[in-house]
Amino acid sequence: MTAIVRMESRNLVRGTLVLTGVFGLLVVFMLAVFPGMAAEAETIEQAFPEHVAGLFGFEELHTLEGFLGSYMFPFIWTLFLGIYFAYLGGGMIAGDIRERRMDLLLSNPVSRESVVLQKIGAIWVPLVAINVGLFVLLYAGSFVLEESIDPVVLAMAHLLSVPYLLVCAAIGVLMSVVLDRVASAQAAGLGAVFMLWLLDGLSEMDPDLEWVGGLTPSRYYDPAAILIHEEYALGDAAILLVTFVVLLAIAIGYFVRRDI
Amino acid sequence: MSVIHLEGLTKRYGEIAANDDVTFEVESGEVFGYLGPNGAGKTTTIRLLLGLIKPTAGTATVLGADIRDRRALTEAKANVGYLPDTLGFDDRLTGRQALDYFARMRGDERREELLELFTPPLDQSIETYSAGNRRMLGIVQAFMHDPDLVIMDEPTSGLDPLKQDRLHRFLEAECDAGKTVFFSSHVLSEVQRIADRVGIIRSGELVALEDIEALLSRGGKRVRIHLGEPVVEERFVTESMIDVELLDSTAQFTYTGEPQRLLEHLVEFEIQDIDIGDPQLDDIFKHYYGDEADSEES
Repeated sequence: MTAIVRMESRNLVRGTLVLTGVFGLLVVFMLAVFPGMAAEAETIEQAFPEHVAGLFGFEELHTLEGFLGSYMFPFIWTLFLGIYFAYLGGGMIAGDIRERRMDLLLSNPVSRESVVLQKIGAIWVPLVAINVGLFVLLYAGSFVLEESIDPVVLAMAHLLSVPYLLVCAAIGVLMSVVLDRVASAQAAGLGAVFMLWLLDGLSEMDPDLEWVGGLTPSRYYDPAAILIHEEYALGDAAILLVTFVVLLAIAIGYFVRRDI
Repeated sequence: MSVIHLEGLTKRYGEIAANDDVTFEVESGEVFGYLGPNGAGKTTTIRLLLGLIKPTAGTATVLGADIRDRRALTEAKANVGYLPDTLGFDDRLTGRQALDYFARMRGDERREELLELFTPPLDQSIETYSAGNRRMLGIVQAFMHDPDLVIMDEPTSGLDPLKQDRLHRFLEAECDAGKTVFFSSHVLSEVQRIADRVGIIRSGELVALEDIEALLSRGGKRVRIHLGEPVVEERFVTESMIDVELLDSTAQFTYTGEPQRLLEHLVEFEIQDIDIGDPQLDDIFKHYYGDEADSEES
């Protein structure tokens, strides 16, 4: 039974293309700024108020790895794409229930578990397209800028973002099965991801509260560590994957029990 | 074995019982009409049977599968067709794409044959569909996998009279071929025309289970007449008229007798305008089945 995942994947293609294009433009703009920024890296690092710099973790801005790892990836992947995947997840179930599409869908010999799994399965489309598209763009950009970057390291920064984005999507799905309105579910999903991201950054300011950051998914995806120090925190990625499975299991458990 | 079996099926929303201890069976090869006014609980029963909502008490079986057993019910659905009252198609798809989508999940061996009877514009996106085209697409998807049981919620709503007639004849042929049909309706004449047996629901309670012959004798028409002169009550009103309202030269009433008698009676008057239509179901029910539901509450 793959009809649903095929249909949902197809439905995501257009939005994914647009989004890849938009983020592609953003990446190009950011790369265009890099040479100027690299020259002024020290001034910039000092110009930001300490807590804002801490939020992003600016580091080694004068190198391309530092620029990507501590500036571009935290912005685009951790924040923007995290929010986008939560938004996608938020739109998966609530709208179908409200518009009565779920009635027709569930009149087929397909279980509710399968409906949720196939719907979330369809996010392979944006996951692959955005990561591959932006990888190509960034790698090509490094040549244009006459910088060098290890493609394996860059690929790892992309690959390890996947578990993080899955967790963001699962947060959205959870909201989507619990809340009745699609707009509420999307807002709650992306709001939750944003607040968690903020909490992670803020908790690092205060050593007493740093443990709070351990509860946020963004703590377990550190593009700076990957790109600058070539540290691949596979254990952290595993924690994110387990979190994803647990969130999804809770969402499915709730969905199979609720009235539609 | 019965195709559908409800046993004390109950669904409560707080204090309100949308279905209250409903028990009946639908036999194989039968057209069963589930008749009731809007808001009586017909859709609730249907959504319970499909496992979309869970019963508060009691249960039911559909093709032998208990509705509380999700796995068994999911398997049984391969042999069930469903035409909901609100047809939630993905509006961005064309009719053809929507049918392809459902076909991948449960087959479509009868699709072409059905599309000769019911003709939605398959290459247009569903968001451009009229209510009638939406309904026809719904009928095709409900029958295209040749299920043993078809459950339909207000199947003719939105269809023009010609297509309604076509659906009625199609249903008769299907049941002759052994298919079981369970459909809800708030239109008495529709149920009288196509059902073999009928269950009547009011305020969530099943008030009667009748063969169609019994129901036919309990018909009624809503009549509105404009006469050329003021109505004289003693002369005009007969015993078969209920809910009579007289105002000057206009008369409104529900007629519960034979149509022939009514016409014979009316020719004695000078009629300027007349409108004969389906009655308010609630009026008819009050007349035939008393007002138990209301009196219990008070």
